[in-house]
Amino acid sequence: MTPEDVLGRLDARLSPGRRIAYVVVALAGLVGSALIGLLWATEPALPTRTGVAFAVLIAIGLSWTVVGTWAVTRRTPLFARDRVVAGWLGLAAWAVFAGGALIVAPGVRGWPFVVVGALGVAAVVALVSALRTRSALLRRKAELGG
Amino acid sequence: MSDELLVVRCQLGERDAFAELVREWHGAVERYVTRMLGRGDDDVVQEVWLAVVKGLPRLREPERFAPWLFTIARRAVMNRLREAYAPTAEPLDQPQPTSGRGISTPVWEPPASEAVVDREAMAGALAALPAREREVLLLFYLEDLPLDACAQICGVPVGTIKSRLHRARRLLREELTREGYEA
Repeated sequence: MTPEDVLGRLDARLSPGRRIAYVVVALAGLVGSALIGLLWATEPALPTRTGVAFAVLIAIGLSWTVVGTWAVTRRTPLFARDRVVAGWLGLAAWAVFAGGALIVAPGVRGWPFVVVGALGVAAVVALVSALRTRSALLRRKAELGG
Repeated sequence: MSDELLVVRCQLGERDAFAELVREWHGAVERYVTRMLGRGDDDVVQEVWLAVVKGLPRLREPERFAPWLFTIARRAVMNRLREAYAPTAEPLDQPQPTSGRGISTPVWEPPASEAVVDREAMAGALAALPAREREVLLLFYLEDLPLDACAQICGVPVGTIKSRLHRARRLLREELTREGYEA
């Protein structure tokens, strides 16, 4: 087995596009589930079959989130640059969720606001952490003459 | 380019750096796996590199890449040995009863036979050694790793590594003498 054989077999794992695709899948599932959950929670007196349909859709969305999260933590972990891209995608996803929440549940106050705020804080923290990690690695790279 | 710089570049996500890392270390990984298993095993080598890809983003000390890599390789080899010879496999991670404090530190000189024995005979003699002794010889002499790195890889104190090396050299000398080489 040559180094090129090894690299060929690892090709899929090393593909940045695939890692980012998993992030997008996870975020899309999360935003979709959260918006449906918000609609369900703020809409009074929904028919039972509508509730069941919402529950199924939320389960599907969360399943994609679990798959994407598993992939980027266990299967194809994110490198520093991927984490920065994922951080910005997370912030964009939160913006979509916040905008969707305003449309889906206008005028609603209380705990939905807390949820939207908490997700926003989580997105910002993840992005800042990714930027710091990448900066530290870039500094170290420069120190080592790279 | 230093290993630390290569690893940092890999952690940043530079794909060409990973290719360079594989080209630099693949031979050592393959050699270790082959010597420890007594035959080449592409699946184990592949498993090692997969684990490296997964673990690299979380490696906190890029300058300690070599011991980290061999720790992964060792785990993969142990898994394969367990699968193959579950009831009789010799555990690699248990310190020997004879090792520990109080054992005199051997003088560090290469085996006298090293210079005159051909590669094939040395490989045969190495294969005849017990797994623990073979492992420390591979790591210390063939891979040129320092004692503390060997200790980290094997999960034992440095003193234990020294005593294993001492015993390994003696066993290797005996094995080569048995095969007709003068010590």
